[in-house]
Parts: sequence; C-alpha cells; structure tokens
Amino acid sequence: MRKFKCSICGYVYDESVGIPEKGIAPGTKWEDIPDDFTCPMCGAPKNLFELIDEAAPSATVSINDDAVHADNTEDLKELSPGEISAICSNLARGCEKQRLTAEMEAFRKIADYFKSKAVAESGGTLDDIAKMLDDDLTNRLPAANVAAKADADRGALRSLIWSEKVSMMMKTLLDRFAKEGDKMLENTNIYVCDICGFIYIGETPPEICPVCKVPKFQIIQVERR
Amino acid sequence: MPAYRNIRLCSKDCLCLYVCPTGATDTENSIIDVTKCIPGCMACVNACPSGAISMVPGKYPPQQPKTEAVVAAQRALELSKVQQEQMANAIVVSSDSAVTRQFAAAIAKSNLRMAEDILRESGYMLPQSDKVRELLEAMLDNTAPDFPKDAVELLLNQL
Ligand code: SF4
Ligand code: SF4
Ligand SMILES: [Zn+2]
Ligand SMILES: [Zn+2]
Repeated sequence: MRKFKCSICGYVYDESVGIPEKGIAPGTKWEDIPDDFTCPMCGAPKNLFELIDEAAPSATVSINDDAVHADNTEDLKELSPGEISAICSNLARGCEKQRLTAEMEAFRKIADYFKSKAVAESGGTLDDIAKMLDDDLTNRLPAANVAAKADADRGALRSLIWSEKVSMMMKTLLDRFAKEGDKMLENTNIYVCDICGFIYIGETPPEICPVCKVPKFQIIQVERR
Repeated sequence: MPAYRNIRLCSKDCLCLYVCPTGATDTENSIIDVTKCIPGCMACVNACPSGAISMVPGKYPPQQPKTEAVVAAQRALELSKVQQEQMANAIVVSSDSAVTRQFAAAIAKSNLRMAEDILRESGYMLPQSDKVRELLEAMLDNTAPDFPKDAVELLLNQL
C-alpha cells in the first residue's frame, strides 16, 4: 500500500485507509481513484499529488542552468509603477499592524496613485496569463529558489514556497477555465487568501488556508459583479 | 514599547483596568493611551486572561541584508506577477461575462498578494527601513499635479 501527498497543502492519501466519508473504500489504489478527484483539503487536482517514496530520503530537483543565470544577468531596471504600487500597498498593511494609521493611509494613497499609472501589457487574455505563469513555474521560481538556497535566505525561501503553491493552483484553475469556461464558477464561490493569495473554489472556504495556514476569516470571497 | 489591546480578543474582564498603575488602559474607546503607558511595564499584558494585550515595539530590528543574486531573481518573479495582475485587471474592466470578470478579479488579487509578499521579502518589509526611505526620497522629484506629495512628506517626517 502506498501513500500520496498533495503538493499544495500536504494532505496525505493513504491507500490502506482510503477516504470512506467520500466513498473511497480502504484499500483503493491511487490509479483506481477517478480523474476528477480533488484534494479534500484544498481542491488541488489528482495530478498535483506525489508518491511518497519512503525508501528515498528526498528527491533531487534538476533545474535548467541557463534559466538560473539568465535572470541574474538582466539589468536591474527602475521599479515600474505596478511594482511601486505593490510595495506601498504592502507597506500600508505593515503600518496597519504597527498601528500607524496616518502612515497606513499615506502608503495607500501612494499605492493608489501608482496603480492608476500602471497600464497592462497589450493582448492580456487569460491565455496570455497562463503562458506567463507557466514560465514562472518552469524558470523564474526555480531560479529564485536556487539563489535563495545558495544564500540560506530563509525569508525569501518561505515566500517562494508560498508563491510556488499558489501559482500551481492558479495554473490548474486557468487550465480548467480554458476547458470549462464560465461553467466552472456558475454554481459555486471563489475565494482568495488575503495573506498568500491562494485561490479556492467551493461553497465555503476551508477552515485554514491550505498554503499559509491562516484561519478562514482571512480567506475572502470574490463577488460576482 | 507601549501596550496595545486587540479588541477582537478582549473579553471585557477588565483586569487591565485594575492593574494599570497610570490608568492608561481606562479609555472610552478601548484604545490604550500611549502617552500614559509606561514603556516596558507589561502589568496589563500579564494580567489579561484573554491574551488580548501585547507590547508594540517602539523600535524595529534593522532589515536583513539581501544579496544581489537573490534580489534579482525575486525581481524577475515579482515583475511577472505584477504584469499578470495588470492583465487580469484589464480583463475585469473589459469582459462582458460577469463570471469571467469574477475569475479575473480573483487572479488579479492572487497575483497582487504574491507580488507583495515577494517584494516584502526582497527588502521592503519594514516601513522604517533604509530601502523604503530611499524609495520615498526618490518620489520627491515627482512633479505630476495629481501625485500625493503630501503623503510622501508625511512618511519621511514620521517614519
Ligand atoms: S483584561 Fe483583557 S479581557 Fe479584560 S478588559 Fe483588559 S484587555 Fe479586555
Ligand atoms: S503596560 Fe503598564 S502602564 Fe502600560 S497600559 Fe499596561 S499596565 Fe498600564
Ligand atoms: Zn491539498
Ligand atoms: Zn493563505
């Protein structure tokens, strides 16, 4: 009997246990579980589960070396309005936590100003977003991970783990949306974790965020307008 | 380090009123009066049965140093997230399907949270850090009429 682990939230499917409450009897083999199975904790699809190989200590990841170096040689250009906006909106949240209300409002004002100056690249379809996201997952994220590991930069590694998981889930949903279209969301709700950005589709949000583990009051519904 | 009461956790047991030597906790709006609070006293923090009071640091630790290689790699990723956010926001404005707009809004917000988090970890965590000050100082050159210069000046004065 084998075990499979959800790469988003860490939930473990144990073949010997099954998930009786979902009609999956103990002893059900992974390959006999229907393809539309999703993680009971976070909604990740079956293909985001990995076999837990109890013999091998940890799998080594091979990364494309060119990708790792390509990004680092790029010149550090000036920050774009969109980036300044994101820096300032986050600093506003930081001031809120430090109870600096006037400062929070000032950072918000600056964030809003730069947001209004940030214009989208041309040709921005959901498909184009999916393509960039693919590139994040295959190149930018691994490259950043290598750099952060080399420096033992714990803060950076933590944020990269979160954004990798959030990105994987987003990719899954974009792929599904490309196939199913609006039907995917017509009879359900969509939520975004206010801390890490994890997207969840379902009636009610999970008790805690599967990625960053904040309680559900921080997982905010996105309204249909 | 003055005390701060989290109103979400406070269960109105009012032990903080009883123990506070200065009356700083006795305010109408439940916000502890920092001008009366004795830094480092902690009496209310230890007395509160609901764990509702904590000390807010007066000074924050300096920003951790970051190497150029890490910052450059984070930059490439965060820039991609910011661009995806903008593309999604454009769909929110232009799509005529309410469901597509809703989905795009979720994608935009998710990207913003990721970008914010990566930027935070690339040296912009603390409002009081040198990197933030540099960023704000550079903004003083902005002469656009709609630019909120007053906000920048306020931050440079107060942080
Ligand atoms: S002691 Fe704690 S619970 Fe009681 S009023 Fe003060 S903050 Fe609230
Ligand atoms: S820390 Fe001491 S002085 Fe300050 S509010 Fe609490 S009990 Fe009062
Ligand atoms: Zn999961
Ligand atoms: Zn989260």
